[in-house]
Amino acid sequence: MNPADRDRSSVRRYQIAHRTHFSYAGTVTASHNEVRMTPPTTTGQTSLESRLRIRPLSWGHTYRDYFGTSVTAIEATGPHGELDIESISTVERYETEPREVTITWDELRDENERDRRSEWLDPRPRTTLAPEVFAWVEHQVAGMTPQEAVKRVIDITWEQLHYQAGVTGVRSSAQDAWEARKGVCQDFSHVAIGLLRQLGIPARYVSGYLTPKKDLEVGQEAIGESHAWVEWWGGSWLGVDPTNLRRVSLDHVVVARGRDYDDVPPFKGVYSGAPLERLSVEVSITRLA
Amino acid sequence: MLAGDGRTRSQYQPIRDTLNRMGGELEHRADALARSYLDQGVTFDYAGEERAFPLDLVPRIITADEWDVIESGVAQRVKALEAFLADVYGREGSSLPRVVEAGLLPARIIRNSPHFHRAVAGIHPHNEVRCHVSGIDLIRDAEGVFRVLEDNVRVPSGVSYVISNRRAMTNVLPEIFENQHVRPVHDYPRTLLEALRAAAPDGNPDPTVVVLTPGVHNSAYFEHALLARLMGVELVEGRDLVCTGGAVRMKTTDGEQQVDVIYRRIDDEFLDPVQFRPDSLLGCPGLVDSQRAGKVAIANAIGNGVADDKLVYSYVPDFIRFYLEEDPILPNVDTYRCVEPAARDHVLAHLDEMVVKPVDGSGGKGLVMGPKASGATLDALREKLLADPRGWIAQPVVQLSTVPTLINGEFRPRHVDLRPFAVNDGSNVTVLPGGLTRVALPEGQLVVNSSQGGGSKDTWVLAPETDAEETDEPGLPSAEIIVMTPPEMADEDDWQDQQEQQQQQTQQTHQGPGAGAC
Amino acid sequence: MLSRIAESLFWIGRYVERVDGTARIVDVVRLSMLEGPAHAREASAQLVLSAIMGGTPGGGVRYDDLRDRLVFDQSNPSSIAGSWYAARENARRARETLSVDLWEAINTAWLRWRQLGTPDRTARHLHWARERAILVAGIADSTMSHDDAWNFLSVGRFLERADMTARMVNTGTLPIVGLSWQSVLSSCGGQQAFLRSNSGLATDRRVAAFLVLNRQFPRSVLYALRKAEACLTRMEPHQPAIGFADDGRRLLGQMRTALEFSTEDDVLADLPVQMRRVQRAVSQVSEHIAGRYFPSTPLTFWTEGVSS
Repeated sequence: MNPADRDRSSVRRYQIAHRTHFSYAGTVTASHNEVRMTPPTTTGQTSLESRLRIRPLSWGHTYRDYFGTSVTAIEATGPHGELDIESISTVERYETEPREVTITWDELRDENERDRRSEWLDPRPRTTLAPEVFAWVEHQVAGMTPQEAVKRVIDITWEQLHYQAGVTGVRSSAQDAWEARKGVCQDFSHVAIGLLRQLGIPARYVSGYLTPKKDLEVGQEAIGESHAWVEWWGGSWLGVDPTNLRRVSLDHVVVARGRDYDDVPPFKGVYSGAPLERLSVEVSITRLA
Repeated sequence: MLAGDGRTRSQYQPIRDTLNRMGGELEHRADALARSYLDQGVTFDYAGEERAFPLDLVPRIITADEWDVIESGVAQRVKALEAFLADVYGREGSSLPRVVEAGLLPARIIRNSPHFHRAVAGIHPHNEVRCHVSGIDLIRDAEGVFRVLEDNVRVPSGVSYVISNRRAMTNVLPEIFENQHVRPVHDYPRTLLEALRAAAPDGNPDPTVVVLTPGVHNSAYFEHALLARLMGVELVEGRDLVCTGGAVRMKTTDGEQQVDVIYRRIDDEFLDPVQFRPDSLLGCPGLVDSQRAGKVAIANAIGNGVADDKLVYSYVPDFIRFYLEEDPILPNVDTYRCVEPAARDHVLAHLDEMVVKPVDGSGGKGLVMGPKASGATLDALREKLLADPRGWIAQPVVQLSTVPTLINGEFRPRHVDLRPFAVNDGSNVTVLPGGLTRVALPEGQLVVNSSQGGGSKDTWVLAPETDAEETDEPGLPSAEIIVMTPPEMADEDDWQDQQEQQQQQTQQTHQGPGAGAC
Repeated sequence: MLSRIAESLFWIGRYVERVDGTARIVDVVRLSMLEGPAHAREASAQLVLSAIMGGTPGGGVRYDDLRDRLVFDQSNPSSIAGSWYAARENARRARETLSVDLWEAINTAWLRWRQLGTPDRTARHLHWARERAILVAGIADSTMSHDDAWNFLSVGRFLERADMTARMVNTGTLPIVGLSWQSVLSSCGGQQAFLRSNSGLATDRRVAAFLVLNRQFPRSVLYALRKAEACLTRMEPHQPAIGFADDGRRLLGQMRTALEFSTEDDVLADLPVQMRRVQRAVSQVSEHIAGRYFPSTPLTFWTEGVSS
C-alpha cells in the first residue's frame, strides 16, 4: 500500500448539518438556552470550521464548559413563534496509533488514581444500576482482565437491551432501560457506563454524530443521526459503542463528553410563552474527502 | 481593680452597676425595646406568629486585644477561602486544583460537594472576589480561645441585627454607653456598597447595584430591605429582572435599566433556571451566561458553598498554610471526618459524646447533639452516617464560655457564639467591629437559634486605649476570666463571655450549633 | 423606580384611603340604623353592601353581617381589616422606598388594629381606623420626598378617594330608611365646611352638589380627580403637541371636565349614573397606569425547553 492510499483511508472529512426547528402554538416572549452542537478538536478529530445560525437571536456568547465542550448561550427576547438552530461543521477524522492496553485492576484500584478520576467513577443517579443487576454482571466478568471485562460489559449491554425508540425518554435512567430491556443509544451508553463504574473502571458519556452506514463514499450526503457512545480509561481513553457493537471509528464524530447525558444536552434552557407544538431535528452528513 | 474574692473584675462591671441602679425601670426598657422591634418589623416567625427578635439588654463586650486576634484571624480566613475558590473555579475545564495536586485535599471532596457548581467553572469575577461578604462563626472555648465553628460564604445573614441592635440599645439604654468607647457599626452599609461597586464588570466607575431578594415572605426579608435602604439601592425580586442583549436589566417606570452588580440573597439553585432548577421563579434566566460574558457581577459568587461545606471546613487551616504560607490565627474546633474510616470508627464508638453535623446543613439543620439524643435518634444517625459518610462530620462537645444575660431581671450566665462579618472589596478585607452575638436563653442550652429560644446581644468592641474612667485600673489584663465550670455551676458574678445570639430565621442563617458543638 | 415598587406604592395609597372611606360609610350606616325602624334594617344593610362592594350579596344580610364583612373580614380587600392587611403587605414589599416613619406607621396600624378588641366596640374601631389612615397620609406627605414614589402613592390615594366619595354619594340616593344626606355629609366630615360655604342652608340638593362638585372641599369627587390628575402630570410633564402621551391622564381629564364644566342641574339630574361613571373612570385610569408604569408585575413562568 502506498502512502497516498493510507492517507485516503485513514483521514475523512465531513460536513455535518444539524438543524433543529421549534414551532410553538402561539407567541413566545423570551427564550434563554444553551446549545452544545459544535464538534471540538480532540484526539483523532480536527474541527476545521463551525457555524451556528440561530433565528431569532438577540444575543449569543460562546464558551468552553467544565468538560471542555464548546457551548453557545443564546437568547431570543423578541416575540417569536418559531426557533431555528442550524449548526454546520466541517470536521476531519483520522486514525490514531493504536496503543496496547495493559492496564491492571491494581492500577485501577489505586486510591490516588481513583480520586483523580472520581468524576468518571462516582455513581450518578442516572447511571447506577440496581445491586442485583450489578451482582449478576460482576459474576460474569469474574477473573477477567479490565480489557476483557469492558468487552463483556459492552456485549452484555447489547445482548440485554433491544434497540427501540419511544420506550424510554430523554430523562430515563439506566435502570429504567434495563427493566424495559429496551432503549436507544443514550440508554445503552448509560447502562454500560453504570456497569463499568461499578466495576471500578472510569467511564464517560460521549455525544456526537454517526454516519448512517459504514464507510460513506466521498461526495455522498446521507441522513445522519445524533449518537451517543462510551469511553473508558485503560491508560488512555478508549471508545466503545454499545449500541452498535461497532468499533468507535472514523464514522463517529465527537461533540461533547460528560458524566452522563445531563452534562451534554445539545439544547437546554427555558422559555416563556405558548407551549411547544412541533419539534423537528435533522442531521445530514456529507463526506467531503 | 479586683473583685472581693480576688479575681479581676471584668469589663462587665460598669454595665452591671448601671443596670442594677435602674432596678424596676429595666423591665419597662425591655418592653419598650420589644415594642420598637415589633413596630419596625424586626421580627421572626415563630409557629406562624410574628415575634419581636429578642435582644438582651446586656451587651457582649469584646476587648480591643481580643478583637485584634479576631479581626486578623477572620480576614486571614477569608483570604484563604478566596484563594481556594479561585483555585477550584478559576481554571479551564476540569483540570485539578493546585491544592489537590499538592495532595492536601482529595478531589472527591470538591466534586462531591452539592454546592460545587460546574456551571460556573472558568468564570473570573472582574476583581477576583467571590466572597464579598463572609460570616465566620466563632465560639470561645473554656480556655478562652476563639475558635472557628463554621464558615458562611454563600449568603450569610444577620448583619441587619447588628445594626438594629446597636440602634435600639442607644435609644433604649443610653446610660450604659456613658464612659464607654464602643466602636461604631453604622459604617457597614457603606463598606458593603463600596465593595459591591468595586466588583462591577469592566471597572465601571458608576455601576448600578441592586439587592436581589426572594421576596417579602423570606424570613430574612427585613435584612434585605434594610441593606437596600441603607445603601440607597433598589431591592429587586427575580421578576423585576430580565436578561436582554446578554445584560441584566431591571424593569422600572422609565423602562429597562441595566444592572451591573447583584448582591443576591437567593440560594444558587434558584438564581438561574437555565443552569439550575428550571422551575425556579425567584431568579432570572440568563444570569449565569451574562456573568460569564462579563456583563454583570454576582455577589457572593455562585458555587461558594464548596468552601463552606463542613467537611471542607476541616481543611481550611491547611489552606491557610498552603495558599497564604501563614499559620492560622484562629484554630478550628477539632473535627472528625466521617469519610475517613479511622475517624468514622471513632465517631461511631463515641456517638453519644459528639456533636454530629451534616456537611451542608446551615442553621443547625440536621445537627445531632450526642449527649442529649435518645438511643433511637443515635441509631438512626448511625445508619445515616454509614450510608453517606461524606455527608457528615463530628466534633467533640466543646464547653463554651458564658456571658452575663438578663433573665427575669437577674444576671445569669448564658452560652453565646459570635458571627463577625467580613467584606472583601478586592484590596482589603474589612471586618465589621463586633458582629452578631447569639445567646441561648434557656439555661444550659448549647444550641442557639430563634426557634429554640435564642436571643441576641449588642456586641461591643471596645476601642483601643481603654479610657481611664472605664476601669480604674489601667493595667487590666486584656483577657476576661473564663468560666471553666459547666454552665449551670457558673458563678454568676463572672460575667464572662458567653454568647450566642439568636438569629433570624432565614433559610441561610445558621444556627447555633452548639455550643459545644461545634 | 422599579415598576413593582411603584405598583406597591400605588396600592398603599389606595388601600389606606379605602380604610378611611369604608370606616366613614360603615359609621354613617351604623348611626342611621340605630335610629331607623327595625324592620327596614335588613334591606338597608343589603343596599349598602352592594353599593360599596359593587356585588350583589345574598339575601338575609343584617347589620352584623355588613359590619363583619366591611370591617373585620381580613380576607375581603374591601373591608377595613383587609385594606390594612393589603396596605401593610405592599408596604413590606416597598419597604426600602418608604420612609422609616411611614413604614412604621403602616406596620403599627396593622399590628394595633388586631389588638383593638371585639366587634362590640365597632365605633371605636371605626374612629381609630379613620384617624390612623389620616395619620399615615400625613406622614407620607411630610416625610417622603415628593418624587415619583410619592406621586404613585398620591395618585392611588386620590383615585380611591374619588371612587369612595362617589360610592358614598350613591348611598345618599338609596332608599334607606333613616339615612339622610345629612348623615352622608357628616360621614365625609364635611358638615362644618358645608355649613360655612352655604350659610347654613342645607338642602339635599346642595349637599349632593357640595360632595361632588366643590373645588375646595378635599373629599369632594371633583377635588380628588383634580389632585389625581396633577399627580399624573408631574409624572409625565412633557406631552406631545397634540393629545396626551398617557391615556390615563386623558380619561381622567375627560371625567373631571365632564363634571366641572357641566351645570349643577345636569350633574344632579342623574346622580347615580354620574357616580357610576366616576367609578368606571377610576378603574380605567387605574388600568392605564398599571399598563404604562407597571407592566412587568405578573410573574413570568418559564418552561423547560425540550432537548433535541
